Amino acid sequence: MNRKIARNVAIVSAVFIVTFAAMLITNYFQVRGFNPLQTEVIETLKQINDANADNAELQEQIRRLDLLARRAYFVRVDHLMAGVEILIGMLVVFVVASRIYFAKEKNLPGKEIDPVDDWIYKTRARKYVHWAAGFVAVAALVFAFLSSPYLSAEKGSGKEATEAAPQSESPAEDYAGMPPAADLPADSAAQLAAEAEAIPDSVAAQPEAPKVTHNSFRGNNAAAVSSAGNIPTQWNLSTGENIAWKSDIPRHGYNSPVVNGNNIFITGADEQARELYCYDLHSGQMRWKLAADNIPGSPSAMPETTHDTGLAASTVTTNGKQVAAIFATGDLICADMNGQRLWAKNLGVPTNHYGYASSLISFGNTLIVQYDNSNSPRLLALDMATGAERWSKSRTDKITWSSPIIAYIDRKPQLILMGNPNLTSYDPGSGAQNWAVPFLSGEVASSPCSAGGLVFGASEYASLIAVDALTGEKRWEANDYLPEVSSPAATADNVFVATSYGVLASYDAKSGELKTAHETNTEFYSSPMIVEGKLYIFSNSGKAFIYAANAELSPLNSFETGQRTFATPAFTDGRMIVRSDSQLYCVQKAES
Amino acid sequence: MRREKTTVMSALIAAALPVSAQNRFPKPDFESGYRYPDLHYEVPNEALWSAVDIILLAGMMLVVAWATLKRRRRAPVLIVSVVSALYFGFFRSGCVCSIGSVQNLVLAMVDSSYVMPLAVFLFFILPIVFTFLFGRVFCSGVCPLGALQEIVNIRNYRLSKAVSAVLGIIPWVYLAFALLYAATRSSFIICRFDPFIGIFRMGGDVGMIVFGGLLLLAAVFTGRPFCRFLCPYGALLSLFSRVSLRNMSITKECINCDLCLNACPVDAIRPPFENRVKESRMDGVRRLLAYFVMLPVAVAAGAFGMKALSPSLAGANKDVRLYEQVMRNEAHPQNIQPVDVEVFFAQGGTIEELSERRAEVGRQFDAYSAIAGGAIGLVVGLTLIGLSVKRTRKTYEIDGAACINCGRCFAYCPQNKLNTTT
Repeated sequence: MNRKIARNVAIVSAVFIVTFAAMLITNYFQVRGFNPLQTEVIETLKQINDANADNAELQEQIRRLDLLARRAYFVRVDHLMAGVEILIGMLVVFVVASRIYFAKEKNLPGKEIDPVDDWIYKTRARKYVHWAAGFVAVAALVFAFLSSPYLSAEKGSGKEATEAAPQSESPAEDYAGMPPAADLPADSAAQLAAEAEAIPDSVAAQPEAPKVTHNSFRGNNAAAVSSAGNIPTQWNLSTGENIAWKSDIPRHGYNSPVVNGNNIFITGADEQARELYCYDLHSGQMRWKLAADNIPGSPSAMPETTHDTGLAASTVTTNGKQVAAIFATGDLICADMNGQRLWAKNLGVPTNHYGYASSLISFGNTLIVQYDNSNSPRLLALDMATGAERWSKSRTDKITWSSPIIAYIDRKPQLILMGNPNLTSYDPGSGAQNWAVPFLSGEVASSPCSAGGLVFGASEYASLIAVDALTGEKRWEANDYLPEVSSPAATADNVFVATSYGVLASYDAKSGELKTAHETNTEFYSSPMIVEGKLYIFSNSGKAFIYAANAELSPLNSFETGQRTFATPAFTDGRMIVRSDSQLYCVQKAES
Repeated sequence: MRREKTTVMSALIAAALPVSAQNRFPKPDFESGYRYPDLHYEVPNEALWSAVDIILLAGMMLVVAWATLKRRRRAPVLIVSVVSALYFGFFRSGCVCSIGSVQNLVLAMVDSSYVMPLAVFLFFILPIVFTFLFGRVFCSGVCPLGALQEIVNIRNYRLSKAVSAVLGIIPWVYLAFALLYAATRSSFIICRFDPFIGIFRMGGDVGMIVFGGLLLLAAVFTGRPFCRFLCPYGALLSLFSRVSLRNMSITKECINCDLCLNACPVDAIRPPFENRVKESRMDGVRRLLAYFVMLPVAVAAGAFGMKALSPSLAGANKDVRLYEQVMRNEAHPQNIQPVDVEVFFAQGGTIEELSERRAEVGRQFDAYSAIAGGAIGLVVGLTLIGLSVKRTRKTYEIDGAACINCGRCFAYCPQNKLNTTT
């Protein structure tokens, strides 16, 4: 009788152990990746707090949420540990019950599971070893293939096409970004959600910022590709069709707009002042401006520049925390997103007969400055937050007006610069040179671009070349149509070039074969941008051209905007920001 | 006797249940001016406890050697198992253990700045010395992990020998990886993935505790699953046990009753074998020669394969992980900055320095991965050679490499009972 009870207890406890272990393991994997110290909602609110340090209500809110998140986490962990204790307890029950059941049974010879002959088992074992070794070899091959550079490059290029979709740029962005509710006990999750909903109105009332950023000249990493969507292909500045707002710009400049969160950044300069401007994305109102003044080493007299370059030709850059701007005086300033000046320095007045024009680019928290000039050309990497030098490299190239880009090759970043005569790749982390291809000459103003593991460089006084970014080996060269000021844009299949004499051409990215050339009877200084499979570009006279970004460059629309345009437009979700000769305006589909 | 054992085991595990888990978690920051009180812990007399550990370790191995080789009795082994599980397991929390000490040794060999504590060295070397002298007396029940499995074991449902032979390669692979990660200063994976330490401490990684629980469940019905198919130190000891000066043996008065074979939880007893499969001698010789020829190929393939995987394996190193985090953060600075990256920059770390460290780790992984892969290839090749050797046995024999001196066979042997009762 006792034996029967013991058997039943053992069976029940065994079923319980297996079921409970499966549940615990599931629960364990759910809770494993959750870090309550870095829940998105709390981090977001902390960022808002950094921007509005005096908001006591918000700080109290953060404390409450932090406490809740911690409590939720520990409750979850305690539940898990209680589960483990129950599991071990049941294991003890099972062992005891089993012992009672088997108390009178010895391990008597039972059914022989192995063949009587040792040799047969050894033959079988050899076969199993072969199978296991084969399985491991195949698994290793599959793993090696999946993590191969080739496959990574494929994935990487796909990512590049959409890389301009970094998440959560704006602090005010996403209060719904709660820790997954599944990771919290029901009560805490509900309470946390309620707390998040109760965020102070002063904070929550801010308009939602778009997710797509445009952090540098020609977008993030200067890739000339944006993942923005829903961009109109027709607008009219006179009638206001698809125009959200227009704003005047206090001082002149040829630099292009940059967008991050709800902020648009441009600069303007004249003999009187050099200024960094921040406009509101939704209203077009200027949020703040910051003068680049009182900088030690800044020249009292402005360097001579030509009228088509000016003192503010360089586009600013931002990393979402800081924004940096440089002027033809060599003045470099950096501010936080609220216009508080963080640091400023003069890099030495660049000796430049047109005027300094290279744009800045940010690589995470590093600010990259291509400081090519006649005296001491060099490449600088500075800490965005402090201005401290991270590394610098002197360059042997002659003066250029080109701007750097960051190309992700085989998932690793490369800093690509056009100089004279070299197209050069550097490691943005250390400044170490990866490779250099000498092919440029004359005055180099165009910037490089990259797609599909290749880097493309072009200049009117040289040629258009494609370089294998892994090896630095030149793949092909073409000379049909070459840009002077405008920079090329590329997809994995095509390279697009806009010339100063009005030709828009497409080349096959893999072979360099000229595919199409459109004569537009105008001039291009602005650079093309690829958005939603379309190519947007402005002529100097202000004519907008929109083509399908294919080999044929199928025309989709073209029309006069009425305002001369030299800058390259910036894109974010549903909006295009254009800097014309006189105004900054936002193109956005009118709400129907 | 069985009831007594059940009671002891139940008391042992029940005693551990109330021990609560230790949650380690950063404390919140207060801006109200509140200061955490300074905590003062009494420093334990670690030297004394280490001495006790060593004495107990050596003493218990001597007891097992005496019981199994001299007295041919199992009861002392069981007592040692209970004492070991209680002392080394629950009381000393499973650390230091001989299984993990092999990693310390390798780290001390490659890193001149690391000095291996004497106690850890003794934990490593004493079981090896005793194994060389008396067989795997450490595995019998002195090792707390083996002891726990021994205590819960009730039945020995045997696995197919062919399957066991394949699974027997796993400990060597585990050992190769453990040494690789130790030599590259990446991780002590034997400690990290110890399935029983969470049970001893009643806390820690829940996944590993559940895994340990399932292993114990398996240990109820089959002998020593962890020792046989996972333990890397056991694999090392099996080498010395093969050539030990004095090891377990079948009684001279053996009557070929088969009872010990069935009782052995680790399939260490080989029955008489008459070569019934009539394979031509030349076929066997050719196969053996082919495996000998293939041995260097297997070593080279293993070395090449592991070297090819070394970049992925290096991802376990903290410097490599940090570098990847930093680079991800540099590429997308708007994302939430991981705490590790925050600390890295706050401590004045530079990307260049980190990049150099990562490159150095990469070089180490390239070299050590090739060695580890070669070793794995060697083990597979030697296993195949071992499985190709044919030898006739006229009596029962004990496989010195597999026998763990548990003494379970003594209770079943009618001749042994005869001798011990007279």
